[in-house]
Amino acid sequence: MRYGLLVKGAPYSSQASHSALRFAAALVARGHRLKCVFFYHDGVYNAARLAAPPQDEPHLYDAWRSLHDEHGTQLQVCIAAALRRALLDSREAERHGKSGHSVEPPFELTGLGQLIDLGREVDRLVTFAP
Amino acid sequence: MILHILNRPPSSSLVYRDALAAMGAVDRLLLIEDGVLGALTAQVRHFQAIEGRLFALREDLSARGLEGQCDASVQVVDVDGFVTLTEEAGKTVSWF
Amino acid sequence: MSSTVNFSGDLLVILRHAPHGSSWLREGLDAALVAAAFGQSVSLLFQSDGVLALAKGQGVGPLGQKGTATTLDMLAMYDIESLYLDPEALERFGLGEQDLLLPAAALDAASLPRLIAGHRLVLTF
Repeated sequence: MRYGLLVKGAPYSSQASHSALRFAAALVARGHRLKCVFFYHDGVYNAARLAAPPQDEPHLYDAWRSLHDEHGTQLQVCIAAALRRALLDSREAERHGKSGHSVEPPFELTGLGQLIDLGREVDRLVTFAP
Repeated sequence: MILHILNRPPSSSLVYRDALAAMGAVDRLLLIEDGVLGALTAQVRHFQAIEGRLFALREDLSARGLEGQCDASVQVVDVDGFVTLTEEAGKTVSWF
Repeated sequence: MSSTVNFSGDLLVILRHAPHGSSWLREGLDAALVAAAFGQSVSLLFQSDGVLALAKGQGVGPLGQKGTATTLDMLAMYDIESLYLDPEALERFGLGEQDLLLPAAALDAASLPRLIAGHRLVLTF
């Protein structure tokens, strides 16, 4: 089956990201395809590239990246929710006259329309909220 | 069949009532994260109406040291079981 | 009511949070508007504190935060006309139909599971 995940919780503040990553690993292990993880609400903070958790804690940012690298899962971030929360890729940083950027590939800033499309394209869309 | 997923305990949030009210006759409810507190024998009465259709995520129970207090009426599943529940359901609805 | 209402659609957005206190309501409404703009048939359910989204007389916040009342005005423009509410939640706040900005159909207990079952995708906010 094709799956999509919707993550609405900020990393480390709630268990949502951990639960989503656990579920993601289990579903691909069962032979399903995880097409995309869409980040909305405070979930957009999962895309912050400078995350530096202590070494003895799970590195959520790296875990999302591995999901993309190993399974081709798209990591899409709602652009409207992201810009408000200081999450800008290099293009948006330039457009808003900011030095430096906080989001980089494989995370992509996209519109909410991508979430709606995802809901249409996958067999199951599972939400993990704070 | 719809899988409802609840991550709040009945001891501190009323969202479980809305989740229960939203469930059809064969729908299932999976307790995850802090939601697993509702699976304890001392709490499970809140879910009486759906006996036999209540599940709890083992990893969230055991991380909290609560696996031993989980009521016998609750079906405990690991994360693979969570995936299976989503396979069997036509869709999922998350309550938080 | 249950016999006269069409309970099916592409997307049901359940709104459970009051205006101003968090971004849940705005983000839920945004998702509904975008889905409608993409041609999907969208229904809204105002549940729990979310019924307060419908209360008359909402204004901007002290820093000029826009709130969501103006967004509600846009629903009809986007053809989002299937609006439902939980009557118990409304009663909890001592509100009646006359206190609401928009008419929403009160759902009886038997209709709620049908509403959820009738939509392909259900998102809660």
